Amino acid sequence: MVGVAQLVERWLVEPDVAGSSPVVHPNLNSQVGEVWVVESIVSTAIIAQPDVDRREQLIADVPWVTIIWNDPVNLQSYVAYVFRSYFGFSRAEAERRMLLVHNEGKAVVATGAREQMERHVEAMHDFGLWATLTRSDS
Amino acid sequence: MIPFMADGAAVTCRFTTGESTALADLAQQLIDLLSERAPDTAGSVLFAQLGIGGESSGPLDPALARLLPDAYRGDVEAASEHRQLTERSLVERKIANARVVIASLDSAILERTELRLEPSEVQSWLRTLTDLRLALAARLQIADDGDNGIGDDEALMVYNWLGYLQGSMVEVIE
Repeated sequence: MVGVAQLVERWLVEPDVAGSSPVVHPNLNSQVGEVWVVESIVSTAIIAQPDVDRREQLIADVPWVTIIWNDPVNLQSYVAYVFRSYFGFSRAEAERRMLLVHNEGKAVVATGAREQMERHVEAMHDFGLWATLTRSDS
Repeated sequence: MIPFMADGAAVTCRFTTGESTALADLAQQLIDLLSERAPDTAGSVLFAQLGIGGESSGPLDPALARLLPDAYRGDVEAASEHRQLTERSLVERKIANARVVIASLDSAILERTELRLEPSEVQSWLRTLTDLRLALAARLQIADDGDNGIGDDEALMVYNWLGYLQGSMVEVIE
């Protein structure tokens, strides 16, 4: 689910929040805002760049996941509605993930770049669902 | 009350005046509760837009803590940073939703008509009904599925009534 566009988008939005936002990778701040970074991600020139390790680290940095936790309050029909209307799942898929939350205590509902997952988590908190994000390998 | 019904893209419902007043009162209580996290001081709007000046640790009140949960579990630093940047606007959106609920109830009471909600209002209603139930569940100390909590029968009745309202609303829009 993570494409080049998302990586580029992530680089492009970082300057606005550099130094204060959790979306900024601690090792990457020094390069924020430099045009070549964006170009290098979308071109094969990436291996010729001096900071290739850092970029590989960025790529290794994703995906992150959005997790919904079970709570005793929210109605099953509401949770399924939120999954369908917000994430665009089919009725069957929304129902399946809702039941995962209910029966297993949690379910992953999205995978992608960290910043994108933070937006999902905020949207879920808007809906009153208990959501967190984490690295997919943790 | 007569449960929600669809009318084109809109949703309608006929509450008694008592029900409308009670619900508007609950929504106002929710606003008061949330306002503890968004003090309306000079410059706060600007700070909010800049994403600074927000709280860095979660609320101690369990109701507020459930309404404004940590975005990261087991990572205090990331949770705190994220909260500082986002909590204030989350609180403001929740307050705005509750205000929509109050406004639609007020106009239905005033004009003695049925309640009629456009799709955007329905979204505010869904979120506010949820927030109210989350806050009440925290007060009732409802911890598990099927748990009726402890104490206050009236609060439990209101909690169940809000659940009935929300279930009816979801059914109609689905």
